[in-house]
Amino acid sequence: MRIARQNWWTAGFLAPSVGLIGVFVLIPIVLTVWLSLHRWSTATPFGDAEWVGLRNFDALFSSELVGRDFRQALRNTFVYAGLSIALLIPLSILFGVIVHRAAVRGTTFLRTVLFATYCVPMIAVAIVWSKLYSPTEGPINQALGWFGISPQPWLSDTGTALISLVFLNVWQQLGYFTVLVVAGLTQIPPSVYEAAALDGARNVKLLFKITLPLLRRTLLFCVVIALINAIQVFEPVATITQGGPVGATNVLTYHIRQVGIERSQGGLASAMAVTLLLALMVVVTLVFALMRKGDDR
Amino acid sequence: MTRRISMSRRAALLSFMLIACVVTAFPILWMVATAFKTPDEALQTPPVWVPGSPTTDAFSAVGDVIDIPRSFLNSALIAGLTTAGILLTSLLAGYVFAKYRFRGKNALFALLIATMFLPPIVTLIPLFRIVTQLGWDASLVGVIVPNLANAFGIFLMRQFIAGVPDELIEAARLDGASELRIVFRIVAPNVLPAIAALAMFAFVYHWNSYLWPLTVLQGNEQASPIVISLARLLTYTGSAANTPQVMAGATLAVLPPLILFVILQRFFVNTISRAGMTG
Repeated sequence: MRIARQNWWTAGFLAPSVGLIGVFVLIPIVLTVWLSLHRWSTATPFGDAEWVGLRNFDALFSSELVGRDFRQALRNTFVYAGLSIALLIPLSILFGVIVHRAAVRGTTFLRTVLFATYCVPMIAVAIVWSKLYSPTEGPINQALGWFGISPQPWLSDTGTALISLVFLNVWQQLGYFTVLVVAGLTQIPPSVYEAAALDGARNVKLLFKITLPLLRRTLLFCVVIALINAIQVFEPVATITQGGPVGATNVLTYHIRQVGIERSQGGLASAMAVTLLLALMVVVTLVFALMRKGDDR
Repeated sequence: MTRRISMSRRAALLSFMLIACVVTAFPILWMVATAFKTPDEALQTPPVWVPGSPTTDAFSAVGDVIDIPRSFLNSALIAGLTTAGILLTSLLAGYVFAKYRFRGKNALFALLIATMFLPPIVTLIPLFRIVTQLGWDASLVGVIVPNLANAFGIFLMRQFIAGVPDELIEAARLDGASELRIVFRIVAPNVLPAIAALAMFAFVYHWNSYLWPLTVLQGNEQASPIVISLARLLTYTGSAANTPQVMAGATLAVLPPLILFVILQRFFVNTISRAGMTG
């Protein structure tokens, strides 16, 4: 195939994707950064934006209400993400190891049930769980009662509301991460285990000395994806808690949308989005750095 | 690992899996059970686990609050058209990234892939404004068009098309086939499982997606997909006595993606396994 001809096909085949992603993803990223330095109402054209330098960021890190609300949402978001990861990763390793072994019948069924939750719309998950958590007629408190545990306030208390949303998230995503872990496990050659077994290594030791180190790349990928997913939590907050009680479940996707769309403070909300993006980049870099440190050892 | 497991450990493993299945399936089972309860049963403490006299009243009551056929049609349009767009754009771009050589290819690919890790909220506000400027706000066009291409689809297609033998493509070129023909007649049939998986991913994702339609549609009920109508159903039926009605609505909304998954889960699982590995 001649080069000139290939150039035409290259351009033609890439144009739809690059055009769409360019207009609807890349340009909006640049605009978010640009708008964060302006006072701008979302109800007006971009041309009406008024340059304010870093004043939006000053407000976010000031002691004003705007700043306190934002920092609470930022903190809630990363607490939610951290707790989700802390529960999801160990559980997905546990289920992954069990499903992977497949020495007992029924593992495929378990995998199907686990993964099915991933396909349920988040809005339905949020609605169902809000009823499950109901303090009086909800089945969760009822079931806890069987074990002598007193009823919990769940979504209605500042101390338990955010963790209640974490459980809901873990329930929905566990199957997805289990499948990723199983995929990672299948990449480990059985000969590694056979050699270790000859050396007399026992099960738990095998897990920590062989399985987990060899699974490190998969787990790194899982942590990053779980983090990005956690930042997108929106439906349960928007429909069930409205960020409450007293801001306890106010997370960034909800908060930025409230400020930027509902209140039309587009410049301020863009500054929040930029701060989120920077915080996310710092965290992801840290996760990678920690992993690399592990590699050197 | 094929090692012998003792009977007692086998029993322990089985009971663990049984408990895991029950705990995982419980919220979905509770949703369906509650949809068939009477309002009285929904209010009882301790809760009624299985409806005494199952009734479909709650399902008919859903239609009093939201337009069910219209919502399903809107959801099908959003998920269907978006999926078709993603398949087409991803196949073409994936082919270029897998089989062509050109200057700046790796840089362009890296730029596109980076957008895969971008939380949508970061671009939501300017994107909403762009769609409004284009005159697409409060309409399905505004919901659909910005999602017709995405980095995940391109990445997935490139991974799988890279495995199609070059000889196959060269042979078709020697026969005088155009590149377009090669993509659809040679490449696509060879990566059919990946296409099926991408189609399901995209369909389920866009059937379920909430933030973007909520933002674009601004309460336009005529264009609301089922997920948005479901939120409205919840708002309009505050008291606990209406719980069966809300659960009936949720059951209806969950069915299409869940059925699709159960039928085609084999592709789903195999593909995230392979795509995940290279991530």
